[in-house]
Amino acid sequence: MTRTLRDRTRTAPAVLLAVLGLLLGASACATGRAATDPEAPAAATADPDRIEALPDPPTPRLPVTVPSADGRQTTVTSAERIIPLNGSLAELVFSLGLGDRAVARDVSTTFEQAAQLPVITQAHEVSAEGVLSLHPTVVLADRSTGPAEAVEQIRAAGVPLIVLDDAKQLADIGPRIDAVAAALGVPEAGARLKERTQRQIAEVRAQLPAAGAARPKVAFLYLRGSASVFLLGGPDSGAPSLIEAAGGEDAGTAAHLTGDFTPLTSEALVEAAPDAILVMSKGLESVGGVDGLLKLPGVAQTPAGLDRRIVSVDDGRLLSYGPRTPQVLREIATRLHRDAQ
Amino acid sequence: MTATLPETAAPPRAQQPARDRRPLLLAGLGAALLVCALLAAGTGAYAIPPGDILASLAHRAHLGGHALERVPESVLWNVRLPRVVLALLVGAALGCAGALMQGVFGNPLAEPAVIGVSSGGAVGAVGCIVLGLDALGSWTVTAAAFASGLLTVGVVYAVSRSGGRTEVVTLLLTGVAVNAFCGALIGLLLFTADTAAISQVTFWQLGSLSQAGWAKVLAVLPFAALGLAVAPRYARRLDLLALGERSARHLGVDVERMRIVLITVVALLTAAAVAVSGIIGFVGLVVPHLLRMLAGPGHRFLLPASAVGGALVLVAGDLAARTLAAPAELPLGVLTALLGSPFFFWLLRRTRRRQGGWA
Repeated sequence: MTRTLRDRTRTAPAVLLAVLGLLLGASACATGRAATDPEAPAAATADPDRIEALPDPPTPRLPVTVPSADGRQTTVTSAERIIPLNGSLAELVFSLGLGDRAVARDVSTTFEQAAQLPVITQAHEVSAEGVLSLHPTVVLADRSTGPAEAVEQIRAAGVPLIVLDDAKQLADIGPRIDAVAAALGVPEAGARLKERTQRQIAEVRAQLPAAGAARPKVAFLYLRGSASVFLLGGPDSGAPSLIEAAGGEDAGTAAHLTGDFTPLTSEALVEAAPDAILVMSKGLESVGGVDGLLKLPGVAQTPAGLDRRIVSVDDGRLLSYGPRTPQVLREIATRLHRDAQ
Repeated sequence: MTATLPETAAPPRAQQPARDRRPLLLAGLGAALLVCALLAAGTGAYAIPPGDILASLAHRAHLGGHALERVPESVLWNVRLPRVVLALLVGAALGCAGALMQGVFGNPLAEPAVIGVSSGGAVGAVGCIVLGLDALGSWTVTAAAFASGLLTVGVVYAVSRSGGRTEVVTLLLTGVAVNAFCGALIGLLLFTADTAAISQVTFWQLGSLSQAGWAKVLAVLPFAALGLAVAPRYARRLDLLALGERSARHLGVDVERMRIVLITVVALLTAAAVAVSGIIGFVGLVVPHLLRMLAGPGHRFLLPASAVGGALVLVAGDLAARTLAAPAELPLGVLTALLGSPFFFWLLRRTRRRQGGWA
């Protein structure tokens, strides 16, 4: 998911497309460092970057034939050697208890259990040769996984590759867990994982202030360094679902933004008047932490800036809807409502 | 190379009325700049009524009035006004640097970017962003862009110099080669960059004043002031240089010395502008041309008018950048070129029709 976000962030303002054409070859790359960086501001509240696997590892029942999100039916005959092509999928594989079958990871896979796996993305892109060299029996990809040629090459080599729909909101978590579990022949474990995740989300939400209480307005800012503009997340940024589940209101949606990210005029941020600002921890780091963020024009003048209500979450986890979303939700809700009191 | 500026060849008939309207044009530009700056100060995504702005301005000037509430007061004084002032300074610096470049090089294609100051600055900025350097905190990118812009001009000049002299053609060609080299360095850096850095670099290169603050105004001010103070002292000598390098030398102009001084001034002006705003094209190249077409090539008019004209274009451009698509922000560098180029094209056609040729 992190990858998707980056991709869309770059391509969001249509006017930049021409300039970006040059860079399009470079797909996404991730930010593994932040998650393990002890200086990351989020570290204070974040749990260690670990996956909590299901208690008894399931045994895959194969072969199965499952639909791939790009419209074809794919038959998986063995789940002995799994390659999930991004961090969010790796998280699902490990959570299902199949982590010992994963044979590679990509750069956005940052959690501890996968740390010793070889990285198979070259610079920014999936390398078909790198993937095939590890003899996977099944490969999991997202719609945003690129380049398309690599996906084709892997399939042409006879390796089943299943494309999954990107998860962009809380409601997508269940279907995504089901789809991955089905593809790996462990639907029962999928059901357990789904039940566990939904229960954990319900637990967090049960602790939110009662309905009817004031809902703080939260601006999701995508920050990269103080030398350029900041981008405010809109309805498609992936964050509104989290913000709303945490008992807040998405400032970008409230300001009638469309699409994912909008390069924002500093005064418009003041006008949007967010009560809290949600950022990714590496983004916050890139502007010099909370103090640096408050120095950016337009931030100090918002209620969030005046109260220093800045919520930061690890880049790798924030928009990665999956088994660890309850954890992220808890962090956001805690910060949001504790600071509100 | 002793190419003369185009209008020096224009018949006197065409120049006579132009000279008469110069003071008027300068005054008009100044008035337009004032109006535009006031408009920019009064307009923004955050609505502040004009009455409140006047009250707050009067309050700060100790002329009565009253302070506003905390947020509008802060928006006005810490967000909007520094941005207007920075646009003014950067525009003046770019306009003036452009006029100087075209004068020194005696070439209508010369602009500050030709001697590598923009691309050199970009290498510094991109390097900082991609390698994640932050030795000077949030000022790192700004300082690196400034320093590497100056350094690049130094290299271009040093490489072109031979036997105590430089030739315009050698300078231009060296500039072209160094620009290409810088472009390759930027490409190499981008290749190794992660996607977040790439998006940051892209936004930086598009040019924007969105991160303007008083600190940046103060950082640019000394360079802009120095450049704008030094430039008019060379107006007469630049006019003589327009007659050709040899003629100017015979008339007592120390061409080499003037070149090194003015290239330094151009480098300082442009590097300071690029450092705080990213790359904003068009202004340095086109504003002086516009004014030359309107009022002839005399540098005593052209230098100050280009500064005022550049400031006008940038204040107006930045106003458009932050309001046209509000709450979104348009990239200023893109906007100036997008709106300015067709206008320039129209003016070029018109001039050609009237004077029977451009050069």
